Parts: sequence; C-alpha cells; structure tokens
Amino acid sequence: MNKGNLSSLFSPRTIALIGASGTPGKVGNIVLGYLERSGAQLFLVNPKGGEIGSRRVYPSPEDLPEKLDLAVITVGAEAAVTAAETCAQKGTAFVIIIAGGFGEVGGRGKSLEERLKALPERYGCRILGPNSLGVFFPESGLDTIFVEHGDRALAEGGGIAFITQSGSVGVESLGLASNAGFGMRAFVGTGNKADLNEHDFLDYFGADSGTSCLAFYLESIESGREFLEQAGAIAAKKPVVVLKAGRTAAGGAAVSSHTGRLAGSDNVVDGAFRQYGIQRAYDDEELCDAAKALSMVRPAAGNRVAVITPAGGFGVMCTDYIESPDRRANLTMAHLAPATVTRIRKVSLPFASAANPVDLTAGADDTMFLETLKALLEDDGVDIVICITFFAPPSISKDLPEKMATLIRKAEKPVLIFTQYGPFTAGYLKRFYELGVAGFSAIRRTVRAARFLVERGMILRLKEAKDEK
Amino acid sequence: MKSETDYTGLLETWKKDLEIPGKPNEWEVKELMRGAGLPVPENVLLKAGEPLPDGPVPGVEAPYAVKLCSAEVLHKTDVGGVVLGVTAEELTGVLSDLRERFPGEHLLLSSMVPVRGPEFILGALSDPVFGPAVMAGAGGILAELYKDVAFRLAPCTPAEAGRMLTELTIAPVLTGFRGSSMDLEGLKTIIARFSLLAGAATAEGAQLDINPLVWTGSQWLVLDGKAVL
Repeated sequence: MNKGNLSSLFSPRTIALIGASGTPGKVGNIVLGYLERSGAQLFLVNPKGGEIGSRRVYPSPEDLPEKLDLAVITVGAEAAVTAAETCAQKGTAFVIIIAGGFGEVGGRGKSLEERLKALPERYGCRILGPNSLGVFFPESGLDTIFVEHGDRALAEGGGIAFITQSGSVGVESLGLASNAGFGMRAFVGTGNKADLNEHDFLDYFGADSGTSCLAFYLESIESGREFLEQAGAIAAKKPVVVLKAGRTAAGGAAVSSHTGRLAGSDNVVDGAFRQYGIQRAYDDEELCDAAKALSMVRPAAGNRVAVITPAGGFGVMCTDYIESPDRRANLTMAHLAPATVTRIRKVSLPFASAANPVDLTAGADDTMFLETLKALLEDDGVDIVICITFFAPPSISKDLPEKMATLIRKAEKPVLIFTQYGPFTAGYLKRFYELGVAGFSAIRRTVRAARFLVERGMILRLKEAKDEK
Repeated sequence: MKSETDYTGLLETWKKDLEIPGKPNEWEVKELMRGAGLPVPENVLLKAGEPLPDGPVPGVEAPYAVKLCSAEVLHKTDVGGVVLGVTAEELTGVLSDLRERFPGEHLLLSSMVPVRGPEFILGALSDPVFGPAVMAGAGGILAELYKDVAFRLAPCTPAEAGRMLTELTIAPVLTGFRGSSMDLEGLKTIIARFSLLAGAATAEGAQLDINPLVWTGSQWLVLDGKAVL
C-alpha cells in the first residue's frame, strides 16, 4: 500500500472520471470541466458510452487502463463501491468517492463503507472519502470540488494546506477567505475517512516544502494521542491550526467527580493542544484568519503591540481589544521609546498623538504613515505592529499600499493591516494580500490574528528550549 | 520519580484490597495517593465496630478534624459528617456522637492544619479521544462554580504543569499576589507526580479528585481525595 507518498493524488498524470457526464449541471459534468483544466490525461466512464465532446467514454471501469494515478467517482454509493473495487483491482493508486450515503446513514451504507475499507489492505489503493469533496491543488490544477469555492481567487496558490472533514464548512470557509486573499496550497475534504484521514495529510503536508501552514477542521480525531504527537512535531517547523468541532462529554463516570463535571466542555482538548503547540480555532472565520496570518506573517517575538491609526476611535477600540485578557495570548500596548515618540512628532501633524496608539489623524499623508511605521518597527519595545488604514483621507495617495507593503515585507517584525472602507474593503485587503501583506476587515479579527502570531512565537520558543535540554 | 509501571502495580494491589470492591472510601483513596508519593497528612481510621479511643491517639494531635469515612456517602458535609476544630476535651464526645448517628460507618481522624491562601483542586480522568488527562485549578466547595481549571494530558512534566498553572485566573497567588507566598515549584512537582498516578488510574476509566489541596505555609497537603472507579 502507498503509505506516505500522496503526490499522485495531488498531481496525477492520469485520471479516470467515473460518472462523467455531458449534461450541464450534473456533478459528473462540473467535475469534468474542472479536471479538463488539470492537464492530466483523462479517461471518462459512463454506462452510456459514446463520447463527451471529443472524448471517448468507456462504458465500464473494467475498460480502463491498468495503474491509473487517480479515479474520481461521482456516481451514487452502491455503484461507487463497485467502481472503486474495479479500479483497485486494476491498480489505480488513488480513488476519490464523492457520494454520500455510507457510514453516516448506517445500515446498508455502513456495509458499503466496510467494502471500501477492505480495498487498501487488499490492493494497495488508497481511498479519499466517501462523502468527500475531494481535492483542490492549485499547483497541479487538480480540482474535483463541484460546488462554488472561490476557485478563481485561490487558483494562484499559496502555503496553506486546508484539510476538512466537512465539505461545506471547507468550501464556505474558502469562499469567505478568498474574498480577501488566501494562499491555498491544498484543499482536502476527508469526508467519512474510510481510509485516508487527518494523519495521512498531517504527515504529507508536514513534510511538503510548499506548505507553510496546516489548517484542519475536524469533528473526530482518530488515534488522538498520536495525532497530537505528530502535529506537535510538525509545529516545531510550521504552524498547525485545528478547529475541533463537536464537544465531547468526558464519559460515563463523569457526573460523580468534580473533574468529570469540570471537563464537561472541552477543556481537555484545550489543554492538550497547548501542550503540543497546536493552535486552536473555534469557528471557520477564525480558522481561515489564523491560517492566513500564520502562513504570511512571521511569528511575534513578544506581545507588545504598537498601533498606527488615522482615526482616534479605531485606535481606542483596538487598544481595548489588545488589553483584554485572552487565554490564547495576552497582548499589551507597547511603551514607545522617547526617541520613537520624537521621531513620530517630527513627521506628523502638530495635533497628532505620538503615543501608542499613534493617531496620525485624518490629515495623515503617505510620508507620515511610512515614517511612523519605520519608527515603530525600529523601536526595541515593539514586537508587533497593527496598521489601521483607511484610504479615504485626501492627502493619502493611491500608492500607499505598495509603499507600505515594501516596508512590511522587509520588516523583521510582524505587521498586520486592518482596513474598513465599505464596498472597497475586499479590494484593499486583496491588494494587500497580493503585495504579500495580511489584512483583515475588523479590529477584532486583526487583534485576534496578532494573538495567533504571539502564540506561535511562544510555541517556537518553547519547542527550541525543549530541544536544547 | 517513579516509573509508570510502579503506579500500575500500586493501583492493582490497592484495588484488590478495597473493603468494598470498586468503591473506595476517603481513607483508601488517601492511602493510594500517599503511596503515589503525594503529601497526605497522617490520618487515623477508626473502624466501624471497633471501640473508639478514650484518650490521645498516636500520630494525630488536637485540634482535630473528624470526618465520616464512607464509600456510600458522597457529600459528607451535607449530612453533618464533618466536625472541624475539635479539642482534646471534645474528642470523645464528638466521636461517640458521630458513631451514634452513623452506625456501621468508619470515622477518620486527623490533625487540623493551618491553611494559607486559597485552596486548589487537582483531578484526573481519561478523555475519550486523547486518553489520560490531569486538571489543576481553584479548589474548595466553589470549584464547580468558578470553573477556573486547566488541563494537560498525562503524564505531564513539572514544566508543563507550570504552564498549565499560568492559565488559571488564580495563578498570581502562586507568584506573590498581594504578598502571597506559596511554593510553586512544589506544586508543579505534585502535579507531575499526580499525573503519573493519573495515567495508570484513568486507563480503565477511573476519575480522581483531590480537593482541597492546601498550602500550610510550609508544605502542600492533600486534605481530601476521591476516586470514582
């Protein structure tokens, strides 16, 4: 069995599409459209035979060549199992089963899933799903996801491997994320996990040089302790963020001990993740924001935050968020060095505030922004900078995002952007994203992203300290 | 520190010797914890059906704490089964009163200890996904109201225990909050040791509570313990 190498799942040279259809709107047709862009050699299967476009259609999986890299099966549960069995016998390396109606419905579906589970052991073929949206891998152009998923926006690729047990949570998250720029290395829907599960993708993307951050949505974790150990080892090199949904009770004896009652929520998961250096997210937005920040921005060396704002109110709100205690990582407003304050005073307007949060006022221009940012980045008492940027003030030029990005990309400290400008927000955030800068559309989300960077810094320092022992 | 195998052996012997199989009483739980290297103060079991002492009892001294020691009664305070601050003169009377009210139950006699600062709770259970875990937090009778607790998987090192403690709201009392002076290092060691016992005990679904764990000004002491097997 192909244990570790999933590369032909993500970059197949040959793909069979079982359930291929010429009828617009059918899953087998949508997936066909996507697969045609992948550049892989396609083999279409449909009992009707004939042709779709100029491609020949095989009436049965029996007619497929031996040893294909991948088979994508879009037909219903029962037929999918039979097709998967045939593919497995023919030495197909990977099979993706999109249909539901398996273990999750019990009864007959469960026995169908059992038949699938037997295949890897017997034929060495690895199965993704069933009940999986499959994979999206921008680098190879492979995309089997038949629902809208911000595909165009994400097609340029990036560093985030996004592994999700729920297809819809996955695609909706991506839709949300792609609006404002999100660098996708891979999307994997694990579905019912008859064979391939979070462990396989953790190992693969943990070792993949193109992956800079792993993000998981999980409802169940197989072999929990091993998963943590492996994820913890990977977290020494790259960030691992997990949204563990579905809170579990602590078991039967729970009610009669204090500990059982106190563990009733998912406090144990919380502690366990911290212990292994895995960063936890609690909803789809947080998972995407964390992955975006962690994949694009360096970890923070400490928790002292400096804020630049052209609007007092947002500076005040941002300060409130920063100073609020938080279990992930407490942040604190940086005390600026006198030299920094003097520097900022020199470049800013007389009625600007040079203390943190630095309020440049609506009269700010490009130079004030850039010189202030430089001063803050060079202040030893600052670990992370949040730029509140609106591009409405009349004295700010169109080029400011580019100029800021040039500074931010070179900076040795993490910088995050908050921008809120009605219908133009997504445009600005996306522009920043394309310039290599991570931005968010709410103060709360920006400060939360900062906490992830501070938490990441703490994890790395801890892992390094453990190595030295 | 003892290896995990020792704890498994300790636990098996302990289970076999329980008076009521599967239902340990407080004295038995404390003896298990003592055996695991946790700081349990001396306490004397006055068995049901045996004559009560009519003078000083070796190992403990006045003022005393007298408690009902029953595998059946879950909330001994609620039924009036705990009498604290008993003087040498009162002891005989208190004992015979408890004996009269709870015939057929054991009594547990220990010395009152000074308590400096807030009480702590430690716990252990097996998480259905991740396995054995330990808990530490703000203890006492309000523990479940405040829910100021943090968890780690067991076994956990003293350093990891230290990081777990920093997550508590109550954490500052361990580092000098308003002049408090509690032995943080000692507490970390106790949690690490408890986590080894936890690993063995929870493997079969047991849950352990230590509540309260108190600081006397010179040492940490386990004043009450419970095991749900």
